[in-house]
Amino acid sequence: MIQEGRAIGGVHLIKAEQAPLLARPYYASGDPGPIVAALAHVPELLEVAMPFLGAALGPSWISARAKELVILRTSARLACRFCVQTHTVAARDTGLALDEVRALRGELPLEDAFDDPHELALLDWVDTVALGPGPVPDSARAAVRVWFGDAELVELTLLVGATVLLNRFCTALDLPTSPQVLARLAQEGLA
Amino acid sequence: MTATIARAVAEGVLPGRVWFYANYHCNLVCAYCLTESGPKAARRELGRERMLKLAEEARTLGFTALGVTGGEPFLLPYLPELLVELAGILPIVCLSNGTMFTRDRLVRLQPLADLPAAIQLSLDRPEPDTNDAMRGPENFRKVVETIPRLVGQGVRVRIATTVTSMAAGEQERLCELHRRLGVADDDHVIRPIVHRGRAVDHGLGVDAGPADLPAELTITTDGAFWSPFGPTVHGGRLDTDLLLTRTTDPLSTPAGVLLRLVEGRPQGADTQLNIR
Repeated sequence: MIQEGRAIGGVHLIKAEQAPLLARPYYASGDPGPIVAALAHVPELLEVAMPFLGAALGPSWISARAKELVILRTSARLACRFCVQTHTVAARDTGLALDEVRALRGELPLEDAFDDPHELALLDWVDTVALGPGPVPDSARAAVRVWFGDAELVELTLLVGATVLLNRFCTALDLPTSPQVLARLAQEGLA
Repeated sequence: MTATIARAVAEGVLPGRVWFYANYHCNLVCAYCLTESGPKAARRELGRERMLKLAEEARTLGFTALGVTGGEPFLLPYLPELLVELAGILPIVCLSNGTMFTRDRLVRLQPLADLPAAIQLSLDRPEPDTNDAMRGPENFRKVVETIPRLVGQGVRVRIATTVTSMAAGEQERLCELHRRLGVADDDHVIRPIVHRGRAVDHGLGVDAGPADLPAELTITTDGAFWSPFGPTVHGGRLDTDLLLTRTTDPLSTPAGVLLRLVEGRPQGADTQLNIR
């Protein structure tokens, strides 16, 4: 939801009537959300960032469940309020159980909600990559390679990185969570 | 990209003129000002060196003319010499409210007489009271005094009349006046007030979107826009609806975006509205 004239850490979210020419397609179906409304300030970045983010975070040959595990876990480790709230709903819509969501958000031990070693290895990899900094230990690479081939590892690692980018962007600019998401979180006891 | 832009200009797909918003401040506070310019407006100056560099890039890309607007460009102390330099790169028109032409500035503008350059002055009405009601006290007198001085030293003068409508006989009297001052009919343009900037607060003007405005690449300190009617200000906030890119260096970046958008543009009403 784009709020009228709201300044977010000095950044106003651009409304439909002020959408730059390159940004207009993103407003064609209604409210494009605060990430687009912020990026619209720099249209030439918006028009390359959104296809990239869509490819990285959107549907692909990797399962939607695996992608939501990565996105929500990364967002929780980076303490991004906007992304955690938004992707809690997305994770639930993807079919993740309440306890799985709570565990990804750090409210339960992962092992209390997950028992698939493949997913636990992925979540260990997410924690290692997202939290950095510095070199990733060979042991972490070896552990994840048991379960994932090169292509999966590349895409999932890029997904962690893209999520970190969004986490810091949304946190730094204090992007507002939509009222619909907040209502859904309250409804599911996940606020 | 250079060949593509040059071809688009040569074939008339893209207008040949590139506009520079030299600054946003002004000594006047006109009722219909697109940019809410005035003495207290932020200057947002594009800068002499940057305009020269952009002009060179525009020529390299294949653009064929330049325009300088504001704000009131002649508030910039370096403007007369800059116009001479710019006119040496590409033919130029500089828009002005016509109130800043001191004897010193006129002398410094003398070289424009031998260059492809024109100064376009705003004159809306044939009588002082109606003209100055929109543009401020003494505006009519200063403009009418300035025009023959510029013409007399060989500088081409154009007159822009910006109005919502004219009373019976007003246009004829205005044209008689500009002819008497030495400005030919071909150098007089009458155009509507555009409903942007301060005109919104006064309920003036016609709505104009990208379909209605010639796609003249316009560079400001805030980025590149679709048209010189694009980088308007309302309520102190820059309008972004006609923003192309924030990037202006290299100029090929916004020029490429403009061409891409023009090629996908539906027919508009720019000809009917005479928004030039």
